[in-house]
Amino acid sequence: MSTQVNVSSSVVEDSRFFDGFTRMMLAVLFFLLLVVFASGKYMSAHKMKGVGTDDNVNNLASVAARTEHHPFIELPGDAELGAFSVANFFCGLIVGYHWLKLFGTKPQNSTKKTADN
Amino acid sequence: MHIEDGILSPLACGAWYGVTAAFVVPGIYEIKRRIRENLLYKPFLAMVGVAVFVISAMHFPVPVTGSCSHPCGTALAAIIVGPFATVVISTIVLFFQAVFLGHGGITTIGANTVSMGIAGGISGYLLWKILRAVKCPLWLAAGFAGLVGDLVTYMVTAFELAISLHGNVPLEKQWIIFFMGYAPTQVPLAIAEAVFTSAVLMAMLHRRPDLLSNILQEKGV
Repeated sequence: MSTQVNVSSSVVEDSRFFDGFTRMMLAVLFFLLLVVFASGKYMSAHKMKGVGTDDNVNNLASVAARTEHHPFIELPGDAELGAFSVANFFCGLIVGYHWLKLFGTKPQNSTKKTADN
Repeated sequence: MHIEDGILSPLACGAWYGVTAAFVVPGIYEIKRRIRENLLYKPFLAMVGVAVFVISAMHFPVPVTGSCSHPCGTALAAIIVGPFATVVISTIVLFFQAVFLGHGGITTIGANTVSMGIAGGISGYLLWKILRAVKCPLWLAAGFAGLVGDLVTYMVTAFELAISLHGNVPLEKQWIIFFMGYAPTQVPLAIAEAVFTSAVLMAMLHRRPDLLSNILQEKGV
């Protein structure tokens, strides 16, 4: 009697804690954070407010329209940070899930017959 | 490019909603057709939609101007899932950003979709098609599509504001005023979006060329 046992080299490779993909993503993450941090420090040192251009232009447009602009919902203080964090956390999970499904390493010789005595 | 509630008149909001609807309907048909052709299109669409949500809410500081702005990601989406499907994605993305993140507005979803989803996505896609037709390398065509898609998004947003609010000021002058509010910050980000669009597309093609057969058909593989 024989059984099918999944022996996937890619699964073994993917189970490593610090694989190539993780290293690459961490490198990109740290690079982007470094850019954000350095830009922030520069802007802070030069007393730049760092507001969004969307907000700048919306203010400009409000003056032209003689009205007040307002978002549909205004979140106070750190609640906005919380909303962005929650949204991006789950978006990350969804993107990662589908990325793995679509672009994950294909199993090579995924089945191997072994004798089961 | 997120115009907030209270700036555009109800008439302008309605008109931009109408334009959006004219693109969303063929977008739904495009999605249905491509799902029938390729079963993996659904997860692809979900992934790209969520990526556009994140990318278009990701504010980067630009020290040259002292302000922050975000890329759009719609040119990349248009290349991968199609230009009309990108309009559908953008409409959904802008709805969720307005409701949950206080980013943009409910009355301005039409106007924001026209700038980001329609103008940004389709201009990037058309440029991609033109450059591929003249045998431009994949990475370069994708890069230019990302760059132009980003800048066109903000040009159209400025136009939407100018056409509603120019009053006695000449339209072109008001358009330039609004666009210059965006341009200094947006140009560096458009260059970053060009690099990002090119890198992501090449990574996808490298890993699963079979999933992007429409792109590789152009390449002749």
